[in-house]
Amino acid sequence: MYFSNIKRNVLVVDDEEINREILGGILEEHYNVLYAEDGKKAMSVIEEQGPLLSLVLLDLMMPVMDGFAVMEKMQEDVVYKNIPIIVLTSEESAEIESLKKGAADFIKKPYDMPEKIIARVKRIIALYEERMIIQSTERDELTGLLSRNYFYEYASLQDKFNPGRRMDAVTVNINHFHLYNELYGIPEGNKAIKKVADILRKYAEENDGIACRSEGDNFSLYLPHRDSYEDLAKEIRDGIYFAEDVYNTQIRLGINQQIDEDDRLEMAFDRARMAGDTIADKQNRFIAYYDSEMRKQQIFEERLIRDIANAIVKGEIKVMYQPKYDITKDAPALKGAEALVRWNHPEFGMLSPGSFISLFEENGMIQMMDRYVWQQAALQVKKWKDEFDVTIPISVNVSRIDIQDPDIVAELLQIVKDADVAPSDLHLEITESAYASDTKQLIETVDRFRKEGFVIEMDDFGSGYSSLNMLTSLPIDILKVDMRFVEDLLKDQKRMRMMELVVEIAEFLEVPVTVEGVEEKEQVDALKKLGVRMIQGYYFSKPVSEREFAYLIREA
Amino acid sequence: MVTTEALKNFGADTDEGITRCAGKEELYLKLVGRIREDAGFSDIKDALEKKDLDRAFESAHKLKGALANLSLGPLLDPVDRITESLRHREDRDYSSDLAEMEVKKKEFDALFA
Repeated sequence: MYFSNIKRNVLVVDDEEINREILGGILEEHYNVLYAEDGKKAMSVIEEQGPLLSLVLLDLMMPVMDGFAVMEKMQEDVVYKNIPIIVLTSEESAEIESLKKGAADFIKKPYDMPEKIIARVKRIIALYEERMIIQSTERDELTGLLSRNYFYEYASLQDKFNPGRRMDAVTVNINHFHLYNELYGIPEGNKAIKKVADILRKYAEENDGIACRSEGDNFSLYLPHRDSYEDLAKEIRDGIYFAEDVYNTQIRLGINQQIDEDDRLEMAFDRARMAGDTIADKQNRFIAYYDSEMRKQQIFEERLIRDIANAIVKGEIKVMYQPKYDITKDAPALKGAEALVRWNHPEFGMLSPGSFISLFEENGMIQMMDRYVWQQAALQVKKWKDEFDVTIPISVNVSRIDIQDPDIVAELLQIVKDADVAPSDLHLEITESAYASDTKQLIETVDRFRKEGFVIEMDDFGSGYSSLNMLTSLPIDILKVDMRFVEDLLKDQKRMRMMELVVEIAEFLEVPVTVEGVEEKEQVDALKKLGVRMIQGYYFSKPVSEREFAYLIREA
Repeated sequence: MVTTEALKNFGADTDEGITRCAGKEELYLKLVGRIREDAGFSDIKDALEKKDLDRAFESAHKLKGALANLSLGPLLDPVDRITESLRHREDRDYSSDLAEMEVKKKEFDALFA
């Protein structure tokens, strides 16, 4: 680490000229030697050189200002205190006080042989330079809190020295911090970060813990166990109020008070953060505790992640079909189906999509499941064609992550080809939120799908992501409106008006509307009146197995 | 000009002194030459006569450091004794140490003649 190709600046402070010159004579081959004859003159050299000074060789007994006073002054300054001091002394009795005042080493008078002095000087400079490098990675530059890696180092060090002490992992985040940065600018965002950091530093110091900022608005605290963190939440909330803060910035604390001795610390903090994230959008909740319920959920999810690949192979993933009916004629006609999955887990029993879809969407495993469903659906369309001589297209889900796969169009083409059906026999459901997130790439992919003959349905329309302006430029064949949008259709005039609006938009775009989640006859009638063509929901049928669906086809 | 040989005869450990000056004999002789005019000797005497033990200690301590570094043993011995007594502000009779110091200083000065 010690670069010997640069000539560092060292300062020799001694009131005896002969001593200065002897030391200078020893050091000048390797160093730029600066001189001062008393403490006061030494301080002015130190102030002039600042961090460019690599070492001070300091005599203690001097007129005007002695060596101890120089050490005291240097210790008071953030920059100077990192410059090492070697004390020049003939008295051993002065050594302890020198060490207390920050001396790094001693050189005895009369001086040792030059090689010894040079070796000592070099060693101390190398030691301090290394320490500086460590310090610069040890601290987060913006806040001065520990950096992530050092935080974990120190935390496990604390555990080592306090075996058996119960500790809590606490995470602190600012809700929607990216929004804060966008509204007020990065400098204001940094101000808020610093403010939170100051509060956390003080709290950690007062409570015998440590604090870090890992990135962005992610803060962590490692503290001896306490029952409640209301005081911390209050301190931060009181502290971060800014006059210009019309957005009403809120924070969230995630607390893990259940750290086992053999838990990895990173995991303990992941759990705390996970608890915190459950209240990210809650206006009046600032603290969430990692509890046994969450732990159970986590273990459950870990099991599902582990089991999914095998489950597909073993046929535990059942594809069910919910029929869609055309209501434009007097008698509703079976015109389509949506493929929905159930997982018949050997241990947990029948699982509905709600318990695993968003989990697999998060970690990308949904791709595996989507592909399986596409294949099954394509084969099913083929079976119905062969068995009943009808074409009933099946809608399948295409996740956002599927669309990012550059081979997606070719893959789906291969699937319909293998099943010997047409691309138009598969309707691809893409959620409205996916349209809003990565518009350009998505539109390109969707255009390619449509060119190949696939039918595109925009799922969950009305969940509030797309602007009207955007809608007109989107390539869609069918708008699918969610149940939530129509649930109070009959009671609530405003919602009724919204539904009318959706249908009007669809007409304007020349795109038919399918409404899913329809449960009552009154809803069907009202939707029919509005001009909705296709309906899916429990009013007609729940999602059913392949066999049950065959009955429905025969009935029709 | 004083020679290393003459200093050796005087009783100085010139080998040690020169080594300490990074092997530079010229520097050593130059610094030894400064001792000739060093005000420390008269300061010690003056301060002791005025019973200013603090000032006497400061002067003696400073001079001792220089003499030790130059390995000028014969001059160092009396200055060292004076310094160590003065460190504890001992109000004793310093005349014999002062006398030795002055005798050795005269011998030392004569080396430059």
